[in-house]
Amino acid sequence: MAVPNPAVEKVPTGYKYGWNDPEMKSLHVMKKGLSREVVEEISRIKGEPQWMTDLRLKAYRHFEARPMPTWGGDMSQIDFQDIYYYVTATDKAVQSWDDVPDYIRRTYDRLGIPEAEKKYLAGVGGQYDSEVVYHNIRADLEKLGVIFLGTDEALIKYPEIFKEYFGTVIPANDNKLAALNTAVWSGGSFIYVPKGVHVELPLQAYFRINTENMGQFERTLIIADEGSSVHYVEGCTAPAYTTASLHSAVVEIIVKKGARVRYTTIQNWSHNVYNLVTKRAVAYEDAVMEWVDGNLGSHLTMKYPSIYLLGERAHGEVLSIAFAGSDQHQDAGGKVIHAAPNTTSLITSKSISQGTGRTSYRGLIKVYPGCHGSKSTVRCDALILSDEARSDTYPYMEIDEDDVTIGHEASVSKVGSEQLFYLMSRGMNEAEASAMIVNGFIEPIVKELPMEYAVEMNRLIQLQMEGAVG
Amino acid sequence: MTTGFAAGLRASAVAPGTVVTVMVDGRSVCVGHTLDGRWGAIEDVCTHDGGDLGDGELEGDAVECPRHGGRFDLFTGRVLALPPVVPVKAFPVHVEGDEIVVELS
Amino acid sequence: MSVQAPAALDANTVQQISSGEPGWLRTLRTDWWARVEAQPWPDPAEEEWRRTSLDDLPRDGGLLLDAPTATCDLDPLLAERGVIFSDLATAVREHADLVRAHIGRNDTLPAQMPFWGRSLAAWTGGTFLYVPKGVAIDGPLTARTELPSGAYTYLPHTLVVLEEDASATLLEEISSPDGQAVWFGGTADVQVGYGARLRYANLQRLGDGVWRIGAQRVEVGQDANVTTLNAEIGSAISKVGMDVRMTGKGGTSRLLGLLAAGGAQSIDFNSCQDLVGSHTTSDLLYLSALYDASHASFYGVTRVRPEAKQTSSYQECRNLLLSPNAGAEPIPVLEIETNDILRCGHGATAGAIDPVQRFYAQSRGMSADAAERMIVRGFFERVVAQIDSEPIKARVLDALVPRIGRTDEEAAA
Repeated sequence: MAVPNPAVEKVPTGYKYGWNDPEMKSLHVMKKGLSREVVEEISRIKGEPQWMTDLRLKAYRHFEARPMPTWGGDMSQIDFQDIYYYVTATDKAVQSWDDVPDYIRRTYDRLGIPEAEKKYLAGVGGQYDSEVVYHNIRADLEKLGVIFLGTDEALIKYPEIFKEYFGTVIPANDNKLAALNTAVWSGGSFIYVPKGVHVELPLQAYFRINTENMGQFERTLIIADEGSSVHYVEGCTAPAYTTASLHSAVVEIIVKKGARVRYTTIQNWSHNVYNLVTKRAVAYEDAVMEWVDGNLGSHLTMKYPSIYLLGERAHGEVLSIAFAGSDQHQDAGGKVIHAAPNTTSLITSKSISQGTGRTSYRGLIKVYPGCHGSKSTVRCDALILSDEARSDTYPYMEIDEDDVTIGHEASVSKVGSEQLFYLMSRGMNEAEASAMIVNGFIEPIVKELPMEYAVEMNRLIQLQMEGAVG
Repeated sequence: MTTGFAAGLRASAVAPGTVVTVMVDGRSVCVGHTLDGRWGAIEDVCTHDGGDLGDGELEGDAVECPRHGGRFDLFTGRVLALPPVVPVKAFPVHVEGDEIVVELS
Repeated sequence: MSVQAPAALDANTVQQISSGEPGWLRTLRTDWWARVEAQPWPDPAEEEWRRTSLDDLPRDGGLLLDAPTATCDLDPLLAERGVIFSDLATAVREHADLVRAHIGRNDTLPAQMPFWGRSLAAWTGGTFLYVPKGVAIDGPLTARTELPSGAYTYLPHTLVVLEEDASATLLEEISSPDGQAVWFGGTADVQVGYGARLRYANLQRLGDGVWRIGAQRVEVGQDANVTTLNAEIGSAISKVGMDVRMTGKGGTSRLLGLLAAGGAQSIDFNSCQDLVGSHTTSDLLYLSALYDASHASFYGVTRVRPEAKQTSSYQECRNLLLSPNAGAEPIPVLEIETNDILRCGHGATAGAIDPVQRFYAQSRGMSADAAERMIVRGFFERVVAQIDSEPIKARVLDALVPRIGRTDEEAAA
């Protein structure tokens, strides 16, 4: 009889992306640690206008002055001086696949980008060690006037529109990690969709941390002008390391009148990564903003996609899945601020904790006075798969208008023994049966994902369940 | 329309490119002096967390709240950057000699 | 920044109160006062204290030394069987051993300790209910206190002890005149033994200048069954902490609340349902009707410990906002540390009366006011229906009238 190995629970077995590319060269590697000089150097290397340099330095000042948050997960092991803040593998962004250096193409081959590019994608911004190294905008999007660039390039090419919106949704001093990002940001995507333009196929980008102690500080800015629509998909993988990695991204989204934006993230960082992200959108009159947020990896994720409903009849949705295995803590959720009448919101959170993992839902529904006719529903369901796992729910509500309907429901449960029995009596083993039940549990959110993510998600759940049982 | 005087604060004491909190007729007002010499005033309460704005910074025409970076237009009170969503009241202000005069109505 | 305790409430006053009391009680008070002094005043940054500022807590009035005693009527037959029901000071004189065995032995949640401690050190007034093993009391016992006019501090302590298989129903009522700045810091320590059954209702009709800072600690023993009801109608500021410990296996608790607030009232409840024993059940249902510019916050934590198997819990907080300036902050929190649960969930809502309901009532010929009264009364029914004792139900409904009005049916009856 095989002796159960508790280590199986710690890292998913057969982690298919757990490799490190030996040929990888990191050029322009700066020394570890953060200082004014590092911030200035980053700005200088990128050839940025003075206002951005000034903003970075101001943000660095705020970062130094602010204390770490005292709530959420355990961030005591993060040493900000033990991180590289800027590395680039190539010197410029490229337009066609053929221009991408070999070892990077190999990485993307293994991630399946070429297939995806052929079948589904309009363009890909690939982030490799903080730089956008591959970028392809299809001709028809260019004709429509859609801008889809790396954020660094957008700052240089479209300075007016950049300056108009950058830092208006998440200012430099919003919180400590946003201040850090504003000081050292590099890479990320910039998207502008002109009025009335509908981008049919999802725009995607991939990320990867590949240098030990490499921090990822991408900055994404999306502007959907009136009546337009776009779907942006972000998914990341990273090889396993033993020292801490820090991922502290900022995403700002502006959804103008009548426009619609969906931002999908599937995050599967290796289990040593700290994933501390600030994501916020503003939605104007009749606009729709949807966050689809899948948190599967990392050691600690703290992320609360937010929507500020600033115009009448704006609608916001957050669909969130969190999976925490042993030694993982997913502290996620969503925030919606109702700041106009007749606005609506929906937050659906499904979380699963297994082994010694911990999932926490943390959310806020705030309704300002005068926002009559507003409605919000929050639904949090948690599945705890093992005796030592843990699940928490912290739903905040600040309701200062009477003519509203605000509701929140949550449940915590385990896999029912009758359900398991039924499936196993149909010939499945316990792992297969559990995986099926768990996949059913998250199905309402998974069905909103682009197909290849849905497939990957189901496979990842399978992998996790195999680790859990036997 | 009632007028008030900035309590005990001279215009020459407010350097260009800064904001200060002053009490005007019992009300807390954030007065700003832009780099190009214009004067503006807004209610000294951030509509996001209720704290003072006068402790913050002035960048161009924008008053930046020191606690979360929210920004308000010094002359109209309009929100320029989140997290605040509700604008603040703005007051006409001018300088008479070395006296700052804020018009509260 | 540390804040000083009021001049009238200090070690000397504690000495003064306990002169004439037995030595053991003097020691108990002094020990608790020492703990109070060693502990900081609540920090507004703490989660439990974020929503209520204590800056304006009235502390200029001295401690009410000549406290009005609670009127406690007890059937002599019950007294013969060993039931004790009296004001606390009388109980200390006449049943010292029993009081000594149970009073001041428990801590409560850290955030409540500053007020728990003050009450245990400086209580004047309060109630003692003791029910011996196997004694079942039909009909409610009522402890009624009418506070005098004036500005003062009053910190009564209520001690309820039910031994094995005992059964009792207790109604505590407190009222005071309007327009007086009073710090009312009543605390209650409720210990329910093996298989015992308690219904405990707290009806608060304090005047509109009163700051009620209360703490209630309830320990539910093995297979015990406890229902508590807090009916909050008066006060300027009400801040109540409820500490419910399901320590014994198989215990059940139902925590009910009816809050009807108006004016500029602010009500802030914190609860902690701590499920420690296996097969325990704890459900909470708090309903608020908020008029004028009143505001209700509710921060409730349901905690299921790793060793608590097969537990069942549901926490519900529903707020009816009846005017544009009313506000609510319901925050039901779950911290679940095992997966071996039968059921666990929570729900919270806030909003106005459903316009369809209102339209329906008015289309039946009711005035807008009458429709609202009827709907609010209907909203409260989920809790009212769970009040087992008819006399208590009647008193609670009667107390609610100044706030929610009387429905046409009730007026006609």
